[in-house]
Amino acid sequence: MSELSVDHLLGIKYLNPQDIQLIFETADHFKEVINRPIKKVPSLRDITIANLFFENSTRTKLSFELAEKRLSADVINFSSAQSSVKKGETLIDTVNNILSMKVDMVVMRHPNPGAGIFLSKHVKASIVNAGDGAHEHPTQALLDSYSIRERLGDVHGKKVVIVGDILHSRVALSNIFALKLQGAEVMVCGPKTLIPKYIGELGVKVETNLRAALNWCDVANMLRVQNERMDINYFPSTREYTQQFGVDKALLDSLNKEIVIMHPGPINRGVEITSDVADSKQAIILDQVQNGVAIRMAVIYLLASKIKQ
Amino acid sequence: MNILIKSATIIDPSSEFHNKTQDLLIEDGVISKIANSIENTKDYQEIQLDNLHISQGWFDSSVCFGEPGFEERETIENGLNTAAASGFTAVGMNANSYPVIDSNSNITFVNSKANGHAVKLLPIGALTYASKGEDLAELYDMNTAGAVAFYDYKKPITNPNLLKIALQYASNFDGLVCSFPQENKIVGHGVMNENVTSTTLGLKGIPALAESMQVARDLFLLEYTGGKLHIPTISTVESVALIKEAKSKGLDVSCSVAIHNLYFTDDVLNGFNTHYKVLPPLRTQKDIEALIEGLKDGTIDMVTSDHNPIDIEHKKIEFDHAAYGTIGLESAFGALQTKFDLDKTIELLTLGKARFGVKSSPIKIGNPLNIALFNPVGAYTFSKKHINSKSHNAIFENETLKGKVYGIIANGKISLN
Repeated sequence: MSELSVDHLLGIKYLNPQDIQLIFETADHFKEVINRPIKKVPSLRDITIANLFFENSTRTKLSFELAEKRLSADVINFSSAQSSVKKGETLIDTVNNILSMKVDMVVMRHPNPGAGIFLSKHVKASIVNAGDGAHEHPTQALLDSYSIRERLGDVHGKKVVIVGDILHSRVALSNIFALKLQGAEVMVCGPKTLIPKYIGELGVKVETNLRAALNWCDVANMLRVQNERMDINYFPSTREYTQQFGVDKALLDSLNKEIVIMHPGPINRGVEITSDVADSKQAIILDQVQNGVAIRMAVIYLLASKIKQ
Repeated sequence: MNILIKSATIIDPSSEFHNKTQDLLIEDGVISKIANSIENTKDYQEIQLDNLHISQGWFDSSVCFGEPGFEERETIENGLNTAAASGFTAVGMNANSYPVIDSNSNITFVNSKANGHAVKLLPIGALTYASKGEDLAELYDMNTAGAVAFYDYKKPITNPNLLKIALQYASNFDGLVCSFPQENKIVGHGVMNENVTSTTLGLKGIPALAESMQVARDLFLLEYTGGKLHIPTISTVESVALIKEAKSKGLDVSCSVAIHNLYFTDDVLNGFNTHYKVLPPLRTQKDIEALIEGLKDGTIDMVTSDHNPIDIEHKKIEFDHAAYGTIGLESAFGALQTKFDLDKTIELLTLGKARFGVKSSPIKIGNPLNIALFNPVGAYTFSKKHINSKSHNAIFENETLKGKVYGIIANGKISLN
């Protein structure tokens, strides 16, 4: 069996198309496993994984933990909304303390961009980035592409628009890298204040008119506005944001084709999408959640098989 | 000090011996003879070094030496030794200390620490008390103690009226006011240049706009007040253009550029290496080209290493949290030589002295000896073993630099590596 080109999953930009293909094929297998009556395989009985979450998370943490347990890995969890710096201990020391208890792999979410890359250079463990500031969230992008592949057959040649707060979004950035790597066309759409000035240089289209964007695309990935990352109000009110960038059923039905609606969660119902859109057959939001477990199983399994060597 | 320097190639356009290889006889610290060959009849100390070149001693307008308060980063003594080992005979030391150097007694303390060293330390006092940006410090009193300029190190003057008053007040005694070119509100939480690289890394960007807005504001103020303004470490195309225009109007403005801003573009940040975290941030190739052009046409008055030792605890951490700054004295000559020919490199290393009150000392008979000694030939990889500073945060680590510095002879003292 082939293997990943990397020893850590730090970001999509460090992967190649073969890596993504391998992760998807491995996830296909695990998706079948988690739909069996006995949802567990003994693959990683000798592996210990630490989930280190230095930033709040519910679904990503649960998804990783479930993926690890389905693979029979031993799991320890550490959550702290405070960064280690504030406590006076460095990130390297925090992680080395945990690794000295014989941990093989670290899944880390951290508020600072590049934290996983920094860690990978200074500690001896395989690192999975579960989101680092506004940098990358690679497993989210992988599960998003995997879900598009599942619904539309292929990612190559598809038109995907990412709508919302692009400026503060690691999901947007990882999705852009993943989709481009697989040959999809990518557009970002949102208020100009929430679109990085130089994003066009990544080879994506920029659109500020939501209807035009939706008429262009096959898939719309609706992002949440990340109020917690904002140092100033980037738009006057939620109401006004929704008027321009919210998708409701009437808008969806008025398009010239049936597009797929995605959302990485958590949804602010009535803001970026209305309830009837979230619950419509065009939305694959819950498929994304289920695929998240399979994708994370695949990533952990593939990285662990490199540790075992 | 009596010495005989053998076979030194003199690089000094102001000397009749420019580009000539000569022997120099120094008696009581003064150049008494320059000739093709001088006999050592009085048994003076002889200095003979491989491919020896000499020039007027080099000047750096912006260094930090830790003291008082940050001795874990650097001390004045070791900082001055580093400057000497790197060819510098005069350095402007910023008030980047704790407590901040904002009074006559602080300036006196710094001077006492540097007293008797081969390198002349030029203290730069804070512009405002504790560099808080609120009330002017006692500028005149610091000036009388030897402060050569006034600068809240790397802290922009956010209140334009404060800068207006500072320029007016300091003009009474011909004081030099420095204003860091950055508009903080535009910077926000930015930590690197705003560009496609910052987008790719998810790091908040500092737009070039943040610098040019502040430069434009400061030049408007200077035009109104008169006085002497120095803008340390500019980094953008727009700043060069604005200052060029101001100079053509006759405004008394000077500016500097950090050597690393002439060398690196922001794409080196791709690995999140905190050695590249500097302020102003590394910009783009277009900026580098404009800055080099600005040096050529005289818009930019001087280069600086912007030497700022930072201990490892403030660098070996997440990028967002890491301190800004790099050491640069040790790599200044070698880095400039990769970008400019020898004559231009030496010109750049001796520019700007007069602005900070340092007299020029051409290599001529009758002048006191104040020289840097070096061998301009030979490429090498800059590494930890080339670092003399207490802190090792070197942006040029692993870069291929050119030329070796032997040291200095200045202030009646020989300081050779």
